Amino acid sequence: MSGRFDAVADTAVRLPDGSTRDGPIVDLRDVELGPSRGALDRVVCAGCPTTSGTLAVHSPPPQSVHRHVSPLTPATTLDRRAALAALAAARGVETPYDDDLRTARRSLRSAAPAAVGVAELRTARRRAAEAGAETERLRERVATIRGRVNALRDADHGTSDDGLAEAEASLSETTRRLSEVATERVAAAQRLELLERNARSARDTRDARLRLEDRAGNLERAVRDARIAAVEDDFRAARRTVSARLSRTRPPDPAVSTGVCDALAVARGAPIRAPVVVAPDLVGALGGPTSTHDVLDAPILIC
Amino acid sequence: MLLVVTYSRRARETLRNACRAHEETVVRKFGRAALLRETEYGAFLACRLRERHAADVQVERTEPFNEFADAPDAVREAAAAYENRESPSTPYDRFAAGTDHPESDAMREREL
Repeated sequence: MSGRFDAVADTAVRLPDGSTRDGPIVDLRDVELGPSRGALDRVVCAGCPTTSGTLAVHSPPPQSVHRHVSPLTPATTLDRRAALAALAAARGVETPYDDDLRTARRSLRSAAPAAVGVAELRTARRRAAEAGAETERLRERVATIRGRVNALRDADHGTSDDGLAEAEASLSETTRRLSEVATERVAAAQRLELLERNARSARDTRDARLRLEDRAGNLERAVRDARIAAVEDDFRAARRTVSARLSRTRPPDPAVSTGVCDALAVARGAPIRAPVVVAPDLVGALGGPTSTHDVLDAPILIC
Repeated sequence: MLLVVTYSRRARETLRNACRAHEETVVRKFGRAALLRETEYGAFLACRLRERHAADVQVERTEPFNEFADAPDAVREAAAAYENRESPSTPYDRFAAGTDHPESDAMREREL
Protein backbone atom coordinates (compact mmCIF):
# COMPACT_ATOMS: atom_id res chain seq x y z
CA MET A 1 0.00 0.00 0.00
CA SER A 2 1.40 3.40 -0.88
CA GLY A 3 2.34 5.93 1.76
CA ARG A 4 0.04 8.35 0.12
CA PHE A 5 -2.99 6.18 0.68
CA ASP A 6 -2.06 5.80 4.35
CA ALA A 7 -1.86 9.55 4.60
CA VAL A 8 -5.23 10.23 3.08
CA ALA A 9 -6.92 7.60 5.22
CA ASP A 10 -5.77 9.56 8.25
CA THR A 11 -8.08 12.55 7.84
CA ALA A 12 -11.39 12.54 9.68
CA VAL A 13 -13.59 15.47 10.56
CA ARG A 14 -15.96 15.34 13.49
CA LEU A 15 -18.76 17.83 13.06
CA PRO A 16 -20.36 19.67 15.99
CA ASP A 17 -23.43 17.38 15.74
CA GLY A 18 -21.23 14.36 16.41
CA SER A 19 -21.25 12.92 12.90
CA THR A 20 -17.93 12.30 11.21
CA ARG A 21 -16.65 12.46 7.67
CA ASP A 22 -13.40 11.05 6.51
CA GLY A 23 -11.36 10.40 3.45
CA PRO A 24 -8.83 12.31 1.47
CA ILE A 25 -11.54 14.72 0.34
CA VAL A 26 -13.90 16.12 2.95
CA ASP A 27 -16.50 18.41 1.47
CA LEU A 28 -17.94 20.77 4.07
CA ARG A 29 -19.81 23.05 1.66
CA ASP A 30 -23.18 21.78 2.87
CA VAL A 31 -22.35 22.18 6.55
CA GLU A 32 -23.17 25.33 8.45
CA LEU A 33 -19.83 25.60 10.22
CA GLY A 34 -20.00 29.10 11.47
CA PRO A 35 -16.22 29.42 11.71
CA SER A 36 -14.35 30.95 8.82
CA ARG A 37 -11.91 29.12 6.58
CA GLY A 38 -9.04 30.47 8.64
CA ALA A 39 -10.69 29.15 11.80
CA LEU A 40 -11.11 25.73 10.20
CA ASP A 41 -7.42 25.76 9.35
CA ARG A 42 -6.62 26.61 12.96
CA VAL A 43 -8.66 23.55 13.98
CA VAL A 44 -6.47 21.44 11.69
CA CYS A 45 -3.36 22.92 13.31
CA ALA A 46 -4.71 22.57 16.85
CA GLY A 47 -5.52 18.88 16.39
CA CYS A 48 -7.10 16.74 19.09
CA PRO A 49 -8.32 16.22 21.71
CA THR A 50 -11.12 18.75 21.74
CA THR A 51 -14.33 18.95 23.74
CA SER A 52 -17.30 17.21 22.19
CA GLY A 53 -19.79 19.39 20.40
CA THR A 54 -17.08 21.34 18.63
CA LEU A 55 -15.58 20.83 15.23
CA ALA A 56 -12.53 18.60 15.34
CA VAL A 57 -10.11 17.36 12.69
CA HIS A 58 -8.20 14.11 13.21
CA SER A 59 -5.09 14.15 11.09
CA PRO A 60 -1.32 13.98 11.37
CA PRO A 61 0.07 17.25 12.74
CA PRO A 62 0.83 19.83 10.06
CA GLN A 63 4.43 20.59 9.15
CA SER A 64 5.89 24.06 8.85
CA VAL A 65 5.03 24.15 5.12
CA HIS A 66 1.32 23.87 6.01
CA ARG A 67 0.89 27.52 6.93
CA HIS A 68 2.07 28.52 3.45
CA VAL A 69 -0.48 26.41 1.62
CA SER A 70 -3.57 26.46 3.82
CA PRO A 71 -6.16 27.87 3.54
CA LEU A 72 -6.09 28.16 -0.26
CA THR A 73 -8.35 30.64 -2.01
CA PRO A 74 -8.10 32.36 -5.41
CA ALA A 75 -6.63 35.34 -3.53
CA THR A 76 -3.93 33.43 -1.67
CA THR A 77 -0.55 35.16 -1.59
CA LEU A 78 2.74 33.54 -0.80
CA ASP A 79 6.18 34.42 0.49
CA ARG A 80 7.81 32.28 -2.15
CA ARG A 81 11.26 31.91 -0.61
CA ALA A 82 9.93 31.10 2.85
CA ALA A 83 7.49 28.61 1.34
CA LEU A 84 10.17 26.91 -0.77
CA ALA A 85 12.47 26.64 2.25
CA ALA A 86 9.61 25.04 4.22
CA LEU A 87 8.84 22.75 1.30
CA ALA A 88 12.46 21.58 1.22
CA ALA A 89 12.44 21.09 4.99
CA ALA A 90 9.27 18.98 4.71
CA ARG A 91 11.00 16.88 2.09
CA GLY A 92 13.98 16.42 4.36
CA VAL A 93 16.41 18.14 2.01
CA GLU A 94 19.88 18.13 3.51
CA THR A 95 22.45 20.85 2.95
CA PRO A 96 26.21 21.04 3.51
CA TYR A 97 25.59 23.55 6.33
CA ASP A 98 23.25 21.45 8.48
CA ASP A 99 25.94 20.00 10.73
CA ASP A 100 27.64 23.32 11.33
CA LEU A 101 24.32 24.95 12.11
CA ARG A 102 23.42 22.20 14.57
CA THR A 103 26.78 22.59 16.27
CA ALA A 104 26.46 26.37 16.45
CA ARG A 105 22.97 26.14 17.92
CA ARG A 106 24.07 23.55 20.45
CA SER A 107 26.96 25.76 21.56
CA LEU A 108 24.58 28.68 21.91
CA ARG A 109 22.18 26.69 24.04
CA SER A 110 24.89 25.41 26.33
CA ALA A 111 26.60 28.79 26.75
CA ALA A 112 24.31 31.05 28.72
CA PRO A 113 25.37 34.68 28.55
CA ALA A 114 27.77 35.44 31.39
CA ALA A 115 26.16 37.32 34.24
CA VAL A 116 27.00 40.97 34.68
CA GLY A 117 26.00 42.40 38.06
CA VAL A 118 23.86 45.07 36.50
CA ALA A 119 22.15 46.23 39.68
CA GLU A 120 25.38 46.09 41.66
CA LEU A 121 27.19 48.12 39.05
CA ARG A 122 24.43 50.65 39.02
CA THR A 123 24.55 51.03 42.79
CA ALA A 124 28.33 51.32 42.68
CA ARG A 125 28.16 54.03 39.99
CA ARG A 126 25.65 55.96 42.03
CA ARG A 127 27.70 55.67 45.25
CA ALA A 128 30.86 56.78 43.49
CA ALA A 129 29.06 59.77 41.98
CA GLU A 130 27.45 60.78 45.29
CA ALA A 131 30.68 60.38 47.26
CA GLY A 132 32.45 62.50 44.64
CA ALA A 133 29.86 65.26 44.80
CA GLU A 134 29.79 65.25 48.60
CA THR A 135 33.58 65.47 48.79
CA GLU A 136 33.57 68.48 46.50
CA ARG A 137 30.85 70.16 48.55
CA LEU A 138 32.69 69.64 51.86
CA ARG A 139 35.99 70.75 50.38
CA GLU A 140 34.45 74.07 49.39
CA ARG A 141 32.81 74.38 52.77
CA VAL A 142 36.12 73.80 54.61
CA ALA A 143 37.73 76.51 52.48
CA THR A 144 34.93 78.93 53.32
CA ILE A 145 35.06 78.26 57.07
CA ARG A 146 38.85 78.41 57.09
CA GLY A 147 38.59 81.82 55.47
CA ARG A 148 36.23 82.96 58.17
CA VAL A 149 38.43 81.61 60.99
CA ASN A 150 41.45 83.35 59.53
CA ALA A 151 39.53 86.57 59.20
CA LEU A 152 38.36 86.32 62.82
CA ARG A 153 41.91 85.59 64.03
CA ASP A 154 43.29 88.57 62.09
CA ALA A 155 40.61 90.90 63.35
CA ASP A 156 41.14 89.56 66.88
CA HIS A 157 39.85 92.60 68.72
CA GLY A 158 36.26 93.64 68.47
CA THR A 159 34.98 90.09 68.17
CA SER A 160 34.10 87.82 70.94
CA ASP A 161 36.24 84.78 71.63
CA ASP A 162 33.00 82.84 71.41
CA GLY A 163 32.67 83.64 67.71
CA LEU A 164 36.20 82.46 66.97
CA ALA A 165 35.82 79.30 69.06
CA GLU A 166 32.57 78.50 67.32
CA ALA A 167 34.11 78.96 63.88
CA GLU A 168 37.12 76.84 64.84
CA ALA A 169 34.85 74.06 66.12
CA SER A 170 32.87 74.18 62.90
CA LEU A 171 36.11 74.03 60.92
CA SER A 172 37.40 70.98 62.74
CA GLU A 173 34.01 69.24 62.49
CA THR A 174 33.75 69.90 58.74
CA THR A 175 37.35 68.86 58.18
CA ARG A 176 36.67 65.60 60.01
CA ARG A 177 33.61 64.92 57.84
CA LEU A 178 35.55 65.78 54.72
CA SER A 179 38.19 63.22 55.57
CA GLU A 180 35.48 60.59 56.21
CA VAL A 181 33.74 61.28 52.93
CA ALA A 182 37.04 61.35 51.04
CA THR A 183 37.80 57.87 52.41
CA GLU A 184 34.35 56.73 51.33
CA ARG A 185 34.97 58.19 47.91
CA VAL A 186 38.15 56.18 47.49
CA ALA A 187 36.37 53.02 48.64
CA ALA A 188 33.47 53.64 46.26
CA ALA A 189 35.83 54.26 43.36
CA GLN A 190 37.74 51.05 44.11
CA ARG A 191 34.54 49.05 44.35
CA LEU A 192 33.32 50.45 41.04
CA GLU A 193 36.65 49.68 39.41
CA LEU A 194 36.50 46.08 40.64
CA LEU A 195 32.96 45.60 39.35
CA GLU A 196 33.86 47.17 36.02
CA ARG A 197 36.76 44.76 35.72
CA ASN A 198 34.44 41.79 36.38
CA ALA A 199 31.94 43.14 33.87
CA ARG A 200 34.69 43.38 31.29
CA SER A 201 35.49 39.68 31.53
CA ALA A 202 31.78 38.81 31.41
CA ARG A 203 31.58 40.92 28.27
CA ASP A 204 34.36 38.90 26.70
CA THR A 205 32.12 35.83 26.85
CA ARG A 206 29.13 37.82 25.62
CA ASP A 207 31.29 39.00 22.78
CA ALA A 208 32.08 35.39 21.84
CA ARG A 209 28.41 34.55 22.11
CA LEU A 210 27.45 37.37 19.78
CA ARG A 211 29.94 36.09 17.23
CA LEU A 212 28.42 32.63 17.57
CA GLU A 213 24.92 34.06 17.09
CA ASP A 214 26.09 35.80 13.93
CA ARG A 215 27.63 32.57 12.72
CA ALA A 216 24.38 30.70 13.37
CA GLY A 217 22.49 33.46 11.53
CA ASN A 218 24.77 33.19 8.50
CA LEU A 219 24.44 29.41 8.49
CA GLU A 220 20.66 29.69 8.70
CA ARG A 221 20.69 31.87 5.60
CA ALA A 222 23.03 29.44 3.83
CA VAL A 223 20.80 26.49 4.73
CA ARG A 224 17.76 28.35 3.50
CA ASP A 225 19.41 29.29 0.19
CA ALA A 226 20.59 25.73 -0.35
CA ARG A 227 17.17 24.32 0.47
CA ILE A 228 15.45 26.68 -1.93
CA ALA A 229 17.94 25.86 -4.69
CA ALA A 230 17.37 22.14 -4.11
CA VAL A 231 13.61 22.28 -4.74
CA GLU A 232 13.41 25.10 -7.28
CA ASP A 233 13.31 22.86 -10.37
CA ASP A 234 10.61 20.60 -8.95
CA PHE A 235 8.68 23.67 -7.90
CA ARG A 236 8.77 25.08 -11.43
CA ALA A 237 7.62 21.77 -12.89
CA ALA A 238 4.79 21.57 -10.36
CA ARG A 239 3.84 25.11 -11.16
CA ARG A 240 3.59 24.32 -14.87
CA THR A 241 1.28 21.40 -14.08
CA VAL A 242 -0.86 23.57 -11.83
CA SER A 243 -1.17 26.39 -14.40
CA ALA A 244 -2.03 23.89 -17.11
CA ARG A 245 -4.76 22.43 -14.92
CA LEU A 246 -6.13 25.87 -14.12
CA SER A 247 -6.24 26.94 -17.77
CA ARG A 248 -7.89 23.66 -18.77
CA THR A 249 -11.05 24.55 -16.90
CA ARG A 250 -11.17 28.16 -17.83
CA PRO A 251 -9.17 30.90 -19.53
CA PRO A 252 -6.42 32.46 -17.42
CA ASP A 253 -8.17 34.42 -14.75
CA PRO A 254 -6.38 37.44 -13.34
CA ALA A 255 -8.32 36.79 -10.13
CA VAL A 256 -6.39 33.55 -9.74
CA SER A 257 -3.24 35.20 -8.56
CA THR A 258 0.38 34.26 -9.08
CA GLY A 259 0.36 33.61 -5.37
CA VAL A 260 -2.22 30.88 -5.61
CA CYS A 261 -0.32 29.15 -8.44
CA ASP A 262 2.81 29.24 -6.29
CA ALA A 263 0.94 27.93 -3.27
CA LEU A 264 -0.67 25.13 -5.25
CA ALA A 265 2.72 24.14 -6.64
CA VAL A 266 4.29 24.14 -3.18
CA ALA A 267 1.44 22.01 -1.84
CA ARG A 268 1.85 19.63 -4.78
CA GLY A 269 5.57 19.33 -4.17
CA ALA A 270 5.36 18.82 -0.41
CA PRO A 271 4.62 15.49 1.30
CA ILE A 272 1.52 16.89 2.97
CA ARG A 273 -0.44 14.73 5.42
CA ALA A 274 -2.53 17.27 7.34
CA PRO A 275 -5.49 18.35 5.22
CA VAL A 276 -5.30 21.59 3.25
CA VAL A 277 -8.34 23.86 3.51
CA VAL A 278 -9.44 24.86 -0.01
CA ALA A 279 -12.10 27.39 -1.03
CA PRO A 280 -14.92 26.05 -3.23
CA ASP A 281 -14.28 28.52 -6.06
CA LEU A 282 -10.67 27.36 -6.28
CA VAL A 283 -11.85 23.75 -6.27
CA GLY A 284 -14.10 24.72 -9.19
CA ALA A 285 -11.22 26.36 -11.03
CA LEU A 286 -9.19 23.19 -10.62
CA GLY A 287 -11.95 21.05 -12.09
CA GLY A 288 -13.71 19.69 -9.01
CA PRO A 289 -12.81 17.96 -5.73
CA THR A 290 -11.14 14.88 -7.21
CA SER A 291 -9.08 16.90 -9.62
CA THR A 292 -8.08 19.32 -6.82
CA HIS A 293 -7.01 16.44 -4.62
CA ASP A 294 -5.07 15.04 -7.53
CA VAL A 295 -3.33 18.34 -8.30
CA LEU A 296 -2.41 19.01 -4.70
CA ASP A 297 -1.49 15.44 -3.95
CA ALA A 298 -2.78 16.11 -0.43
CA PRO A 299 -5.91 15.54 1.66
CA ILE A 300 -8.29 18.47 1.34
CA LEU A 301 -11.11 20.08 3.27
CA ILE A 302 -13.45 22.03 1.03
CA CYS A 303 -14.90 24.94 2.94
CA MET B 1 32.51 61.49 23.59
CA LEU B 2 30.36 58.60 24.73
CA LEU B 3 31.42 55.22 23.43
CA VAL B 4 28.55 52.72 23.34
CA VAL B 5 29.42 49.07 22.69
CA THR B 6 26.75 46.37 22.39
CA TYR B 7 27.03 42.68 23.20
CA SER B 8 23.89 41.05 21.81
CA ARG B 9 22.03 41.04 18.53
CA ARG B 10 19.06 42.88 19.98
CA ALA B 11 21.18 45.54 21.63
CA ARG B 12 23.12 45.97 18.40
CA GLU B 13 19.86 46.38 16.50
CA THR B 14 18.59 49.00 18.96
CA LEU B 15 21.86 50.90 18.66
CA ARG B 16 21.68 50.81 14.86
CA ASN B 17 18.15 52.14 14.92
CA ALA B 18 19.09 54.84 17.39
CA CYS B 19 22.02 55.88 15.20
CA ARG B 20 19.81 55.99 12.14
CA ALA B 21 17.18 58.07 13.89
CA HIS B 22 19.55 60.48 15.64
CA GLU B 23 22.34 61.15 13.18
CA GLU B 24 22.98 64.58 14.66
CA THR B 25 24.07 62.96 17.92
CA VAL B 26 26.25 60.28 16.34
CA VAL B 27 29.87 61.17 15.78
CA ARG B 28 30.88 57.80 14.36
CA LYS B 29 29.23 54.46 13.78
CA PHE B 30 30.94 51.09 13.86
CA GLY B 31 29.42 47.63 13.45
CA ARG B 32 28.18 47.20 16.99
CA ALA B 33 29.51 50.32 18.60
CA ALA B 34 29.06 54.05 18.20
CA LEU B 35 30.58 57.26 19.42
CA LEU B 36 27.94 59.72 20.56
CA ARG B 37 28.32 63.44 20.95
CA GLU B 38 28.82 64.54 24.50
CA THR B 39 25.52 66.35 24.77
CA GLU B 40 22.63 65.74 27.13
CA TYR B 41 20.90 64.03 24.24
CA GLY B 42 23.89 61.73 23.75
CA ALA B 43 23.65 60.84 27.43
CA PHE B 44 19.90 60.36 27.04
CA LEU B 45 20.44 57.83 24.26
CA ALA B 46 23.18 56.05 26.21
CA CYS B 47 20.94 55.85 29.31
CA ARG B 48 18.06 54.48 27.24
CA LEU B 49 20.28 51.77 25.76
CA ARG B 50 21.61 50.86 29.17
CA GLU B 51 18.09 50.83 30.59
CA ARG B 52 16.81 48.53 27.88
CA HIS B 53 19.73 46.15 27.40
CA ALA B 54 21.53 46.45 30.73
CA ALA B 55 24.37 43.93 30.64
CA ASP B 56 24.59 43.96 26.86
CA VAL B 57 25.53 47.61 26.71
CA GLN B 58 28.80 49.15 27.76
CA VAL B 59 29.13 52.91 27.93
CA GLU B 60 32.47 54.65 28.28
CA ARG B 61 33.33 58.30 28.28
CA THR B 62 36.24 59.02 25.99
CA GLU B 63 38.65 61.91 25.78
CA PRO B 64 41.09 62.88 23.06
CA PHE B 65 44.48 61.37 23.80
CA ASN B 66 47.19 63.96 24.25
CA GLU B 67 50.49 62.16 24.00
CA PHE B 68 52.28 65.13 25.52
CA ALA B 69 50.12 65.06 28.63
CA ASP B 70 48.98 61.46 28.84
CA ALA B 71 52.09 59.47 27.94
CA PRO B 72 55.59 59.63 29.43
CA ASP B 73 58.20 61.27 27.22
CA ALA B 74 60.14 58.00 26.90
CA VAL B 75 57.11 56.21 25.49
CA ARG B 76 56.30 58.95 23.02
CA GLU B 77 59.89 59.23 21.89
CA ALA B 78 60.24 55.46 21.55
CA ALA B 79 57.17 55.34 19.34
CA ALA B 80 58.45 58.14 17.13
CA ALA B 81 61.91 56.60 16.84
CA TYR B 82 60.53 53.15 16.07
CA GLU B 83 58.22 54.43 13.34
CA ASN B 84 61.21 56.18 11.76
CA ARG B 85 63.48 53.12 11.95
CA GLU B 86 65.60 52.26 8.99
CA SER B 87 64.71 48.63 8.60
CA PRO B 88 60.94 48.07 8.58
CA SER B 89 61.19 44.40 9.56
CA THR B 90 62.95 44.96 12.91
CA PRO B 91 60.69 43.98 15.83
CA TYR B 92 60.39 46.64 18.51
CA ASP B 93 62.26 44.80 21.25
CA ARG B 94 65.27 44.20 19.05
CA PHE B 95 65.11 47.86 18.01
CA ALA B 96 64.96 48.95 21.66
CA ALA B 97 67.74 46.68 22.89
CA GLY B 98 70.84 48.60 23.91
CA THR B 99 69.07 51.97 23.68
CA ASP B 100 67.28 54.12 26.25
CA HIS B 101 63.91 53.15 24.83
CA PRO B 102 61.68 51.20 27.26
CA GLU B 103 61.10 47.48 26.77
CA SER B 104 57.66 46.47 25.58
CA ASP B 105 57.08 44.18 28.60
CA ALA B 106 57.92 46.97 30.99
CA MET B 107 55.45 49.25 29.20
CA ARG B 108 52.76 46.58 29.42
CA GLU B 109 53.19 46.45 33.20
CA ARG B 110 52.97 50.16 33.82
CA GLU B 111 49.62 51.94 33.96
CA LEU B 112 49.41 55.38 32.48
